[in-house]
Amino acid sequence: MSIFDLPAVREDPEQVEAFLARIDRGEKIEADDWMPMDYRLQLVKLIAMHGISEIMGAFPEKEWVPRAPTLRRRLSLMAKVQDEMGHGQLLLRVAEDLIRPFGKTREDILNDLYAGRLKFHNVFHMPAPTWADAALIGWLVDGAAIITQKMLVQGSYAPYVRALRRIIMEERFHAFHGEDMSQALGDGTPEQRKMLQEALNRWWDALLMFFGPPEEEQMPSNQLKNLRYRIRTKTNEELRQEFLSKYVPQIWALGLTVPDETLRFDEATGRWVYRHPDYSYLRNVIGRNRGPRSEARLHLRRSAFEHNRWVREALLARQAVQKEAAIV
Amino acid sequence: MEKDYEIYEVFSQKEPTGKYESQFSLLAPSPEIALAMAQENFLRREDPPANLFVVNRRHIHFISPEARVALRRMDNKAYRMPGYYGRVLKKWHELKARRGIGDRLLKVEEDG
Ligand SMILES: [Fe+2]
Ligand SMILES: [Fe+2]
Repeated sequence: MSIFDLPAVREDPEQVEAFLARIDRGEKIEADDWMPMDYRLQLVKLIAMHGISEIMGAFPEKEWVPRAPTLRRRLSLMAKVQDEMGHGQLLLRVAEDLIRPFGKTREDILNDLYAGRLKFHNVFHMPAPTWADAALIGWLVDGAAIITQKMLVQGSYAPYVRALRRIIMEERFHAFHGEDMSQALGDGTPEQRKMLQEALNRWWDALLMFFGPPEEEQMPSNQLKNLRYRIRTKTNEELRQEFLSKYVPQIWALGLTVPDETLRFDEATGRWVYRHPDYSYLRNVIGRNRGPRSEARLHLRRSAFEHNRWVREALLARQAVQKEAAIV
Repeated sequence: MEKDYEIYEVFSQKEPTGKYESQFSLLAPSPEIALAMAQENFLRREDPPANLFVVNRRHIHFISPEARVALRRMDNKAYRMPGYYGRVLKKWHELKARRGIGDRLLKVEEDG
């Protein structure tokens, strides 16, 4: 039972109009407000993916917790990884409330992930072979996520906005944490600097792809809908430009080189000119869970889910027994 | 048997005299576990709260979306606000001066 199979309903066009008028007035929608099924579906798609990505995103970093170079670094990284799991919990709660009226639960969300119906962000399909990768994730992957989240927090769905406000507050720690690790390497020994540069080379394309393909003359219908519903307020390309404006100068300040000799800021248009990565990789490789670490991380998630099943069931059984006792 | 845990809304208080603040909600199999998770999920870096409690969402009565619209109030409640009575202070000053009553005897206090 996929979370994306919401019942087809006939909707009163006037009610839909009134809903869109609310959106246009900048009103916020609550979980129990009437909403078109299409709006609900768009939210489920976005928020379930966001939530599950936070959880899958903890894996590449968690790999470095036992191998962190110092105790201090380990404490910070562990706190950060825990935050990401927390973000996952907040967002899954928001998604669950949207699918609950149709008898669907968290378990359905996770099953969609295991079945490949629910995707997670491209960056979390990539390997993190060195400590510099861990640093770079904290700096630039979190950086990219922060830019996206600051846009999403302007959205029309109040429960998502509440979750995002909390998340953004915690992300301020993540940003400094990642910058601190990267500064230490970027300002370190030649070997450390080389390690960070190599990590940047590995991650550059994935970072650009994080925002999704640029919108050409024809905007994809998904995108158009989300803009119409004010679920998002900026395009992929606008977000990517913001990312470049914020982080390319930081990359330069660390004495690193962006692995794209065509990259430059065009004063005339006020935009960055750069080489696009091969976006078909998103659809054909990442979208099919065939990235370098897709299978391994899904396996890790699924086995944790299976190994802990008896705990969940025992706790549920205990609750059922208590409820029965209360009735008698 | 239910397929999933129940939803608990989490509330905390910063100080014993502070108001109850909603933190967020979580899924838990029991109120005890909900409380333990609440600390871990929502209060892991804040200053320790004075109090913390969870409510099974089934026990919360929300106002309906239709009634919510009626919560919007018309802008005609000025007479409930202290600022509406600003003339009172001016009047006291005027009366004091007229009767020759000194500042030591009659203090006109701005905040009532
Ligand atoms: Fe996060
Ligand atoms: Fe983060």
